[in-house]
Amino acid sequence: MCRPKSLFIYLSLMIVANVMPGRSSGQASSTATGISRTMNPAISVNGLFWGQVSRDNDDPQFNRVALQEAEAQLTAIVDPFWKASFTFAVHPAHGHQHEGAADEPEETDGTEATSGFLLDVEEAFIDGRSLPAGLGLRLGRFYLPYGKHAPLHTHQYPFAEAPLGIRMFLGDHGLTETGARLAASVPLPWFSDLTLYGVNGDAEIFDGGNKDLVWGGRWTNLWDLTGTATLELGGSAFTGPDGSHPDEGKRLDVFGVDLTTKWISATRSQGPALNVTGEVILPRPEARPGTPLGWYALAQYRFHRNWWLGVTHGRADADAQQAAKTLPPFSALKQNEHTHGFTGEVWESKVNLTYAPSEFSALRLEVDWYDDRLGDTDDLRFILQWNFTIGSHPAHLY
Amino acid sequence: MKRQTSEFLVWTRPIALVALLVCLLWPGVTVAKLKVVATLSDLGWIAERVGGEDVEVEVLCPGDQDPHYLPAKPSLARKLRKADLLVYNGLELEIGWLPLLLDAARNPQVRPGSRGELDCALALTEILEVPTGPPDRSQGDIHPLGNPHYLSDPRNGAAVGQLMAARMAELDPAAADRYRQRADGLQADIASRIGQWEQRLMVIKEHPIVVYHKQWEYLLAWLGFELIGEIEHRPGIAPSPRHVEGVIQRGRQRGGVIVIAAPWNHLDAAQKAADRMAAPLVVLPAAVGSLDGVDGYFTVFDTICDLLTTAVADG
Repeated sequence: MCRPKSLFIYLSLMIVANVMPGRSSGQASSTATGISRTMNPAISVNGLFWGQVSRDNDDPQFNRVALQEAEAQLTAIVDPFWKASFTFAVHPAHGHQHEGAADEPEETDGTEATSGFLLDVEEAFIDGRSLPAGLGLRLGRFYLPYGKHAPLHTHQYPFAEAPLGIRMFLGDHGLTETGARLAASVPLPWFSDLTLYGVNGDAEIFDGGNKDLVWGGRWTNLWDLTGTATLELGGSAFTGPDGSHPDEGKRLDVFGVDLTTKWISATRSQGPALNVTGEVILPRPEARPGTPLGWYALAQYRFHRNWWLGVTHGRADADAQQAAKTLPPFSALKQNEHTHGFTGEVWESKVNLTYAPSEFSALRLEVDWYDDRLGDTDDLRFILQWNFTIGSHPAHLY
Repeated sequence: MKRQTSEFLVWTRPIALVALLVCLLWPGVTVAKLKVVATLSDLGWIAERVGGEDVEVEVLCPGDQDPHYLPAKPSLARKLRKADLLVYNGLELEIGWLPLLLDAARNPQVRPGSRGELDCALALTEILEVPTGPPDRSQGDIHPLGNPHYLSDPRNGAAVGQLMAARMAELDPAAADRYRQRADGLQADIASRIGQWEQRLMVIKEHPIVVYHKQWEYLLAWLGFELIGEIEHRPGIAPSPRHVEGVIQRGRQRGGVIVIAAPWNHLDAAQKAADRMAAPLVVLPAAVGSLDGVDGYFTVFDTICDLLTTAVADG
């Protein structure tokens, strides 16, 4: 039987012990409720904001300061067999009009509208930890491994927005899907990985009402050119029900090839580094005529430990309907949004300067130039973007 | 039935014979070596010394690269895929890249918690600079578990050798005695050299030390050197001019300062500060392979002795 005074002293000692300096987080294992927190997941939150000014476009959407995305990520080992990761993202609602009216709390595809923002379950998956033969199994909701850019979270983008080819053909909000994917290493003398997946097909480019799954895969190959430079060649493909013509049962096949070379100086910490990437996106929609093409090439160079310079150029054949969703409304293509098929091409060029004083914050100044080659409807935009992360954020992939 | 049995034997005997030959002749089956992957070149050198001909060792971070910022190249994950044992520094030195590589390697044998992963910091009897208050990132890229650069004290290298031997013996019991003997040999070699290194560096004790990055604390503590400042005030963050000026003023007041840095530090900033203190900048080998000719763990300390004593003699 424990007397109240003894209990008080015991609790006081426990509280003092838990706030004593020098105790590691692993030792501070108990909360006020007495529940262990040592098993809590690593938690991080990222805030991404931007301010834009458009020379040619008076739309408030392109002349405002706004939250671009807030993202929370939780990662932990589930048990000896699985590791889990969740990523929740909050976006301004106006960018998601295709998924439901912004002012209606309508739930679509794991996305819920609240107070002008949409909460999106970007990722929620488990990875197998003990599969034989070096196999990797992921179950849940995840970014499809298509190309180099599509699997990136928004705060990882090398420019303020995704390349036009990605936005035009893969959707404005990424290919995040629910299903399973299996990865295996290919027995070759260099790093070679093959990933295959089958997913439901909920992204905006697919017909979510169709019962057919989306099937696809990616083959990644990487060679060490030197001790500090690599060359990566990847091929991606998927096929699924086309969302541009729902209920018609048409297929959308998309192929892609990407080539990346990276060099990071070994002679100095946070020294010079160069990343050059090119990617070609080849959609083959059964429902729309033509052989559309999208591509981009980008280069990023770290010329000082905290400073990066970026430049990119690319183009995409534009479907008027998709252009109406994806492109700034300056485009003459939007004027013709009820036209079916690929009716024109849009070019983009961007330059940015990024100041990243640490791995956890960055300030970026960017100039974007869009040209739809239709005459007098170009657009010049100036963007200031800032990005910060708190908590235990996992390192980014190479 | 008898006829069927005969046919069965006719087919299975040659197959069994071939299988037996393969088992006898295939080196991967008969003389399998323990595949060890070391994150750092120092650990790789110790693993080779302890493992000898019983192990194959690969290193992820070459000695001339800063282990804080190693790019997590998929080609490094490939090395981990077939590893039986991963030996790593720990104390979160490799936090920026090793978890990514382990995920990409998909090798359950070396995942955290398995017998095939070895946190070498477990060998330490004392960890320096464990934060006394709650750490946060206003302090830069600090290591919440303490300063991870413990291999700059050779006594810790000997302890790590013993730890590796115990784990190698566990994974490869047939060679257990050999692992232990080699680890004992390493410990004896280090013990026999420590006195010489301390003797040679005795003259440095009179000189206050300024470092670029908080990387030499174990070396300084072992030798009893006096640290009076760091040019990089907060790890991983570019120092402010005001902070550098403060370090320079402190160095000028004390006089006789030596500035030391690792090869991958921002040496131009270190050189400017050293010049203003009228102090020599000495670029020390921070790991095996970090400078030309530094091809072993003992050579690291031999070279440190050479460079520091030369700097003082020239000074």
